[in-house]
Amino acid sequence: MLRLPLVRATGLSSSRLGAVGLHTTGSKSQASQELVEVFIDDKPVQVPPGTTVLQAAAKAGVEIPRFCYHERLAVAGNCRMCLVEIEKQIKPVAACAMPVMKGWRVKTNSDLTRKAREGVMEFLLVNHPLDCPICDQGGECDLQDQSMAFGNDRSRFTDIEFSGKRAVEDKDIGPLIKTVMTRCIHCTRCIRFASEVAGLDDLGTTGRGNDMQVGTYVEKMFLSELSGNVIDLCPVGALTNKPYAFVARPWENRRTDSIDVLDAVGSNIVVSSRTGEVLRILPRVNEDVNEEWLSDKSRFACDGLKRQRIITPMIKIAGKLQSVAWEDALVTAAKALQTVAGNEGAVIAGKLADAEALIALKDLFNKLGSEVLATEQGFPKDGSGIDLRSSYLLNNTIAGIEEADVVLLIGTNPRYEAPLVNTRLRKGYLHGEQTIALIGPNIDLSYEYENLGDSIDIITKLKNGSHPFSATLKNAKKPLIILGAEQLTRKDGAKIVSETQALANTLGNNVQASEDWKVLNVLHTNASQVAALDLGYGSTIEDVKQQQPKVLFLLGADDANIKKEDFPNTFIIYLGSHGDQGATIADVVLAGAAYTEKTGSYVNTEGRAQQTGAALTPPGMARPDWKVIRALSEIAGHRLPYDNITEVRSRLEEVAPHIVRYGDVEPANFFAQAHELAKQTGGSFLPDPVDIKQKTLDQFFMTDVISRASPTMAKCVQAAIKQRQTEL
Amino acid sequence: MARVIGLDKFVRLIQIIRHNGGIFKSLRALYLREELKIGTLVGEDKYGNRYYENNEYFIGRNRWIEYADHVRLEYDASQVPVEWYGWLHYKTDLPPHKDPNRPKYKWMLQEHEPNLSGTNKIYVPYSTTRPKIEAWKP
Amino acid sequence: MASVSATTKYVRPVLSLNKNEARKRVLALYKLWYQEIPQILLDTSLPVTEKMCFDKLREEFRKNANETDIRVIDFLIIKGEQDLQETLEKWKNKGQLMDYFKVTVEKKPSDFLGKFLSGQD
Repeated sequence: MLRLPLVRATGLSSSRLGAVGLHTTGSKSQASQELVEVFIDDKPVQVPPGTTVLQAAAKAGVEIPRFCYHERLAVAGNCRMCLVEIEKQIKPVAACAMPVMKGWRVKTNSDLTRKAREGVMEFLLVNHPLDCPICDQGGECDLQDQSMAFGNDRSRFTDIEFSGKRAVEDKDIGPLIKTVMTRCIHCTRCIRFASEVAGLDDLGTTGRGNDMQVGTYVEKMFLSELSGNVIDLCPVGALTNKPYAFVARPWENRRTDSIDVLDAVGSNIVVSSRTGEVLRILPRVNEDVNEEWLSDKSRFACDGLKRQRIITPMIKIAGKLQSVAWEDALVTAAKALQTVAGNEGAVIAGKLADAEALIALKDLFNKLGSEVLATEQGFPKDGSGIDLRSSYLLNNTIAGIEEADVVLLIGTNPRYEAPLVNTRLRKGYLHGEQTIALIGPNIDLSYEYENLGDSIDIITKLKNGSHPFSATLKNAKKPLIILGAEQLTRKDGAKIVSETQALANTLGNNVQASEDWKVLNVLHTNASQVAALDLGYGSTIEDVKQQQPKVLFLLGADDANIKKEDFPNTFIIYLGSHGDQGATIADVVLAGAAYTEKTGSYVNTEGRAQQTGAALTPPGMARPDWKVIRALSEIAGHRLPYDNITEVRSRLEEVAPHIVRYGDVEPANFFAQAHELAKQTGGSFLPDPVDIKQKTLDQFFMTDVISRASPTMAKCVQAAIKQRQTEL
Repeated sequence: MARVIGLDKFVRLIQIIRHNGGIFKSLRALYLREELKIGTLVGEDKYGNRYYENNEYFIGRNRWIEYADHVRLEYDASQVPVEWYGWLHYKTDLPPHKDPNRPKYKWMLQEHEPNLSGTNKIYVPYSTTRPKIEAWKP
Repeated sequence: MASVSATTKYVRPVLSLNKNEARKRVLALYKLWYQEIPQILLDTSLPVTEKMCFDKLREEFRKNANETDIRVIDFLIIKGEQDLQETLEKWKNKGQLMDYFKVTVEKKPSDFLGKFLSGQD
């Protein structure tokens, strides 16, 4: 595979790539170079050499219209919309691809510039259908906006009687993206995104001039874990959201800023809702987390919020769950809780639980005298366990991954476990010459990597230096170890943690980076995990099974693989939003809210606290989770001392102050201490090979209650399986 | 002479009372229908409603129905079955059992159903649109 | 400037010139309502007793017992007279009259559990 497929195609060398606006890590050093002065509309601007005219204009506060240029993609320069006049040059210049020269006087609003734009716009519109009234991009269409601002005020188009407009056949590129290829203006943003960010060379152009077409060459679906982003990138309505087709106009939607909880990245999202329904989910720019991308699961699983919902509380009457009023359900649950004496209660927190519910539940069970608080994906207790935050965080931050030069992935598939972490790795691989190695099964990571094998004792070999790859690791200036949280649930999880800590410690000694470079990183898959560990949910499911509690509280725990047979004499209370595995085994089901319906705090895998926004009210009789727990506590006679979200959060602040500092990463740096404690960890590795749950694309789409309830995700799974079968 | 002193009215009253089956039955009829009439029984339908005719009364009052005894005061014009409706409303002069030319359509075979308003079988309109949130059914 | 200060000093009275006069008007209005209540009850057949109406009348007047501004009192008198007229002319219907008794108003829950169970925030 070529590292930079499009760079070669566009004839740009990789050193120039940083200069023309790609966000690379190397471009930082240019800040120290001498600045050149250019004049944008007679306004002087100082910019580093190599900056394009378009960027210089942006710095001066002048926005040049563009279609093909996108700051996170390579420059193509083929739409010609950004033509500007430069003094003493005969022709207008494409601002997006032209580096500035000293003393240039750029005129972004001169007659020539305006005429050039008008001409380009006219040519684009000649072959663009006038179907804006039925186009899903209407209202958020770049072509619409720019033709209003820069286009001609009347049409000279009379050819409709003769040859008509160009028409292109629509393509079926999967269940997520609807294509109307006649609307395509050939900006090639989607192609560049696919090959650069998604790492999929499926899209391309065929034909030239008027006959140019964007497509997949052969009939094939564009299936990727990031495919939805081409919808946002497409400046016109050629690629639109298929499940959202003909549903709503952008201006009539209510937009709520929120956080995605379907993976542990905590992507920033905007929830578009109308008439009590979530219609679509869009990414929100956050340079430190998701840049401006969003994984397909987070974007399209929102229709799962409308299906399989628990809208009333339920009680098991005669072996069958029946809908009841809140009073009955709460009294039944409270009666069971009142029988709990001492350490006879247990909690399993699911992957979508918010910190407010976690703290309320912990307070309630601690009041009852119970200490067994488990998460679905346990963390080994040996050594420092969860006491030192740095042992379970992605310490080096998501954005910091790009800067690493050697990355060792242990038992993780970031491509499907955290697609937006994988884009960082791919970026590092493309632009930073990153070397990536993996301990685990053979998987497609969308970039080249060295597979060191799937035996777990390779970690020890790397530490001892007896493995061929350890030399590369030792010589690395900025090494990075990313440990998949999934491996920690193995029986030898404690040993894996301690050995990885030891390996990171040896590497950390010869790191030649700044003081805060952290080698050890844990990549979580569950959104609630870090917050739960921060709050002290230290037990594992094995502990709960051993304890055989009288009352087991499942806080949205559907993926814990718990069966009723494991707990024959246990009263099970389930609190969650969707009816799934957890609710079916419960004796009392309490109706909770999904992440779009509550204001909740989440901590992502790097330890960044963020909060979701309530776009809707919970459906039916469902209530925000912490309120249910608070009401239950009052009826059970152990009233929790908070009545509103502010009071819950001040309680959160008492326990873990960083959870309410939204937007910030609270760094942790206790590697040496953790390593010291880990030395006592005994045990040995098991012979089982390292396995990863999500190996192929079809395993990516359905991982939690919301995506399992989503028909769109089901279609994606079908499509992915079909695609794989046809390729074989 | 009898007319002068209004004795014929009295005789008529006696006739009507006799026709209705005695004083107590007449009082009961008055209680149920608030009037006492005399007429010939034209027919009876399968629900027990009796149909009378007396052309001494002017049109509009010369054909009437006495509802089945078991319904007591709970009678209602919608209890008249379709076959008698026509005769009662002067659409035809032939009562159903004397009219051989009546068409016999399939829909006529179904049971006559009175208006169910006010009973527990009342029709209640319901929404046929799909709910926005589909609830989980355990 | 004397004229300016003079205009600000004396506000134009609405009805009453002094407190005593206002008091008289209030009492007159009270008396009028008191006399009319039996007739109102006869006309409207409200599900209330005469005693309840007298109590309610006293309550409604007592609500403004602490009012000292004569202009405000005057406005309240005018409103009261309008109300009486509307009642006697039957411009007000039964429901509007029963609004005084607030029999159908349910108090919103104020404690956490009450709010939780009723689904109000």
